[in-house]
Amino acid sequence: MSGPDGNKSSHTELSSQVFFDLVDSVIADVASECHRVARLGLDRDLEVVEEELRFSVEARAKVADPSNNLETNTKFVVDIFGQTHPPVASEVFNCMNCGRQIVAGRFAPHLEKCMGKGRKARAKATRSTTAAAQNRNSRRSPNPRYSAYPNSVSENQLASGSPGVACEDCTVRENVKGG
Amino acid sequence: MKHSVNRPPTPDEDDASEGFEKDEVTLREIINVKLVESGEKENLMELVRDRLVECGWKDEMRIACREHVKKKGRKDVTVDELIRVITPKGRASVPDSVKAELLNRIQNFIVSAAL
Repeated sequence: MSGPDGNKSSHTELSSQVFFDLVDSVIADVASECHRVARLGLDRDLEVVEEELRFSVEARAKVADPSNNLETNTKFVVDIFGQTHPPVASEVFNCMNCGRQIVAGRFAPHLEKCMGKGRKARAKATRSTTAAAQNRNSRRSPNPRYSAYPNSVSENQLASGSPGVACEDCTVRENVKGG
Repeated sequence: MKHSVNRPPTPDEDDASEGFEKDEVTLREIINVKLVESGEKENLMELVRDRLVECGWKDEMRIACREHVKKKGRKDVTVDELIRVITPKGRASVPDSVKAELLNRIQNFIVSAAL
């Protein structure tokens, strides 16, 4: 090999080759990526013309079709995601209060009647069977549910409180005695 | 100790030009190995990729690929074909600044690797 000049030229040649090797690698990456996008149909722009053509053909067929019932969707509108507007709550589940199966869309009115929070639904019932019904209810569960009627509730609590306590004591004493 | 142990290896009896080419190929291979071993190849690859993306070269290549795909049809295209199509254009359209930077770095490496 000759002096520094010779070395330099061979170095340049060599560097060039190395450089183009690198560029080829990048080219291969790009080609691979584009190939993948093309084969998987991920490139929307390419597909747009095809798809739009297809949609327009379908739409035309639909409009032209006389047997299609155009009055089906009077109650609700369906959007592009398939969701209905206004939304229909059609799920059925069990009410945590009474345990009955309720449709979600009818749950609020049901709760009103079920828990007695509403004005009209509960008022009629309690007024007719005041003492008996409330006694029964409060004895089973001492929670003051009927906050609208403070007087009767507190009375009942007092009334049922002592006998309840007394009863408990009795059973405890009995158990102890029994051993 | 036997003399055969210290004897230098027998040189190959090749043609002069063939020998020269063989040396070149091996030299290239040696460089490659050194690049990979030292991790410089990785650095250079990253540098090349970054520069080519920055200057828009990659986008140009992707456009060229898409054009070819549009022509040929999405389903018939192969990777080899795409490489074949964009390589000449790709090699030619690398910006001079990028080329200069990379060549400089590679030359420095070769010199420092004492070859």
